[in-house]
Amino acid sequence: MDIIAGLLQTSILAGGVLALAALGEVLSERVGVVNLGVEGLIALGAITAIAIVTASPNPVFGLIGALGVGFVVGMIFASATVVLRANQVLCGLALTLMGTGLAATIGKAYSGMPAKATFAPVEIPYLSEIPLLGRALFTQNILVYLIYVVLPVALHLIMFRTRHGLNLRAVGENPAAADAAGISVQKFRFWYVAAGSSLAAGAGAYLTLAFVPSWSEGVVAGRGWIAVALVIFAGYRPINAVLAALLFGAITSLGFVGQARNWPIAAPILSMLPYLGTIALIIMPVLAWHRVRRLMAAPAALGEPYYRDVR
Amino acid sequence: MARGLAIVLALVCAGLVLGAAGANPIALASKVIQSTFGSSFGLQDVSLLVTPLILTGLAVAVALKVGAWNIGAEGQFYAGAFAATGIGLFIPGPTVVILPLMFVGGALCGVLWILIPTLARAYAGVSELITTLLLNFVGTLLAYYVSTGPWLDPGGHALGTTARVPHSVPEIWGDVHWGFPLAIMLTLVVAGVLNFTRWGYEVRLAGSNAQAALYAGIPFRRHLITVMLLSGAIAGIAGMLEVAGTVHRLQGGISNNFGYLGIMVAVLARGSAIGVLAGAALMAVILNSGIILQTQGINTSTVLAITGLILFFTAIGDELAHYRIVPIETAKK
Repeated sequence: MDIIAGLLQTSILAGGVLALAALGEVLSERVGVVNLGVEGLIALGAITAIAIVTASPNPVFGLIGALGVGFVVGMIFASATVVLRANQVLCGLALTLMGTGLAATIGKAYSGMPAKATFAPVEIPYLSEIPLLGRALFTQNILVYLIYVVLPVALHLIMFRTRHGLNLRAVGENPAAADAAGISVQKFRFWYVAAGSSLAAGAGAYLTLAFVPSWSEGVVAGRGWIAVALVIFAGYRPINAVLAALLFGAITSLGFVGQARNWPIAAPILSMLPYLGTIALIIMPVLAWHRVRRLMAAPAALGEPYYRDVR
Repeated sequence: MARGLAIVLALVCAGLVLGAAGANPIALASKVIQSTFGSSFGLQDVSLLVTPLILTGLAVAVALKVGAWNIGAEGQFYAGAFAATGIGLFIPGPTVVILPLMFVGGALCGVLWILIPTLARAYAGVSELITTLLLNFVGTLLAYYVSTGPWLDPGGHALGTTARVPHSVPEIWGDVHWGFPLAIMLTLVVAGVLNFTRWGYEVRLAGSNAQAALYAGIPFRRHLITVMLLSGAIAGIAGMLEVAGTVHRLQGGISNNFGYLGIMVAVLARGSAIGVLAGAALMAVILNSGIILQTQGINTSTVLAITGLILFFTAIGDELAHYRIVPIETAKK
């Protein structure tokens, strides 16, 4: 039982990065824009957070700074893909290269130092004493509750229970119809892409202030791409996305457990698990669940720029 | 036109950022030009970098012809390098036999690396973007694992590298080996097949409009699979040549981001063979600049960032090239 509780605790902690980044990607893809820059945004957020807490040791400043940087970079990305309607795949790859490269260049000065301030685990009285799962669920850092409960539930309610959310989804499914109904496609896309990018950079802050917590080159290690993959796996739904992130986090932490318990498998081989697991998880559902395919389908206009005058 | 402008704009931006960071961009640029084109060593270095860039660029470009994004050239490169090293180190025999074996092994391992993404795309419709990319990390980890673990150089020359592979591609000019002309030839052959054969025509049609291709009776799925596997093989060959021609060992960072820069090469090439060669030359000069300027606090990460900037401006430029500037008075009429 100890192993399972420990595994759950690390899974929740590790999955937080993926969950936050995936929530951002859900926002972006629901309005019809594929943002493949998540990897770069996480890197930028991670280094921003470290740089800020090094200057003034308060993790909240680091998080806010990362969210801000993500929002601004997201606005640049949206200017290119939504306003100018440039190719989304290319711009996303460009953003990943720029973000990863820039973060690594800036990060040379901060490499290997532990973060000056972190989001430390908080023990919630009474709840953390529940046998078995109490420690795993209720001795996490404060961001975990935001990422796994508050944010996904709020996004779910907005997306599926409000008129605004209906409009948002319409923009991703059928922008021409949304436009005819008087919804500003460009405005929705622009701001939701920026907001999604902001969350991705926030995931970077979580990575370096709560999970690792320090900066080193390659610390992001493909988590951005895994987040993009798990959005597909989650059928573009916020609550499913955090649950999927938990599952992906479990695959990651299986590697940690293996190392800690001296399994006779080399560390680099165990580190392959999250990538191989992700590939398996996005291929298998397609083969297994023919029925739910419609329910889990991507927004119909995903990846397509909207030209009002070209129908 | 739009391409050239995008590149210049990106380099100017990079220069401004470096200038703001306290460097002198003009001095840096002249240093780069001097050490790249001022000596035969500089040109040799660039040619060594061009070889893998041509091949990874070609790999990405070929897949794009059938409408697939192979952004996993990095992983296939590592796979090819891994296979070539394994064959070179552990199969005894004369170079005449082993070298071709390494070549085939590298290509096959590249194919193996893209096999699952290919089948997943062809039969289950799973986007190859993510699957090919994720395998990059697996490839990197594999190379890192064997070069620090089971295949670690017993002579202990340096940390994290295998022993020297005893077979190497012969050199033609200084350090430049036969891989360089081979890469150019391969590009021309692939371009010829794509442009002047029935098969190539069908592939291009399938890539530009899958529906129309199916309607015309072209086996889209079969072409998709063949071309994607070919793409993996080419990237694998790039890795094999890097081991057998340039580095002679397998080590963790052997790829220099060649796979990712290959995406850039393919995008700049816009589907033409000459474009792949030119794009690879440009990226090689940029990458070499990063290596020359290492003492000035610039490194491969900076190069990656600048590459991203070029890609960004190129994507925007491509879109804007569709517009025509019209004076306001004419537009009103």
